[in-house]
Amino acid sequence: MNKRELESILKKALPPEISSESLEMFPRRLVARLKHNDSPNRAVRNASLRLAWAFGLAACVVIVFTASHWRGRMEAEAIPAKDCLASIKLVREMVAMFPNQVCAIVEDDHGLHLVLSDKDDVPASPPLYVRICDGKHCSSFVTFSGQEIQVAGQQVTVLSDSQGGIILEGNRFVWSSDGENYAEKNLKIEAKTLGATL
Amino acid sequence: MAHMAGSDDESKLIEQSLSGDPEAYGALVNQHQKMIRAIAFRMTGSLDDAEELAQDAFLRAYQQLAVFNGSSKFSTWLCRIAINLSLDWRRRESRRDEIYSKWAADAVSENHPDVGFPDELSRRVQVALDLLPVKQRAAVVLTIYENQSHAEAAKNLGCTEATISWRVFAARQKLKRFLKDLAHEQA
Repeated sequence: MNKRELESILKKALPPEISSESLEMFPRRLVARLKHNDSPNRAVRNASLRLAWAFGLAACVVIVFTASHWRGRMEAEAIPAKDCLASIKLVREMVAMFPNQVCAIVEDDHGLHLVLSDKDDVPASPPLYVRICDGKHCSSFVTFSGQEIQVAGQQVTVLSDSQGGIILEGNRFVWSSDGENYAEKNLKIEAKTLGATL
Repeated sequence: MAHMAGSDDESKLIEQSLSGDPEAYGALVNQHQKMIRAIAFRMTGSLDDAEELAQDAFLRAYQQLAVFNGSSKFSTWLCRIAINLSLDWRRRESRRDEIYSKWAADAVSENHPDVGFPDELSRRVQVALDLLPVKQRAAVVLTIYENQSHAEAAKNLGCTEATISWRVFAARQKLKRFLKDLAHEQA
């Protein structure tokens, strides 16, 4: 068999006929998928967005770190009037970036870090801001009702009711926003909702 | 296989897709699906895998549409995405086959008998193509079925023209052996 004969045989070989139904449905299925979750250059845009967020977070950590040094350790118990986590914008954008995956955004002595669920199974609910100081260290985090967060060396369960009341349950305390508290004296706790469901 | 020229209509559809109109992209998919699905089939030998692969190729192309600068035909660009995805797919499949070698052997033997080939020649050619190393198969698909020059195929596969020539040469030698009975029957 020479080269021409081989090419002739190869070119005579046709792939299986695709049914007209499949030809019709294929673009439709694709369009449906695109309408649902894709947009041109999503990958590129996501990369840029993540980069921007990385810079944003890094800046936030630097500000927090600088501010905490400037204030000195004696002021550690004081709850800052404004910190990164109290910004609803930051929380909203984090949740938009990882929909139904954000368990918590924690800020402690090591900086800011994000706690994500492996699956997108975190129900949408109003974000809750919590700050716990134990006399030496302070940790604050934003989370959602029903989440269990490892913070300040203990597991904290955060719950909220439909009236906006918040209950925190840790290994060494039970704290409620309506004033029913059982906690060690040196624990100082603050909690509030950060607005409506994101 | 005939390609769409880079027509005004096509350029318009690309622009509309870029501005976020999935229906316009659907029209582009409709124009090119036969070519991409044929490439995917020749590379995988399975209609189901080919459909999945083609879908991935079109999705990937949509996500990277702004990168398409019109220096080549849209069909050539799509073809490049599809062929490279199919090479990745083969790599993944090979790894999986190594792990599940017993089931893989069964799968290979069951792959072709009746996937709706128009004739026996087409089926036997596909079996022969499947026996080629994947890079040689890709070279054959691009140069013989997509009528690309060795230079174009080299660009699409990210290798030198000499490499393509060698792969096509090696593939031809093997295909001649695999298909020699067919040549006698044809004669």
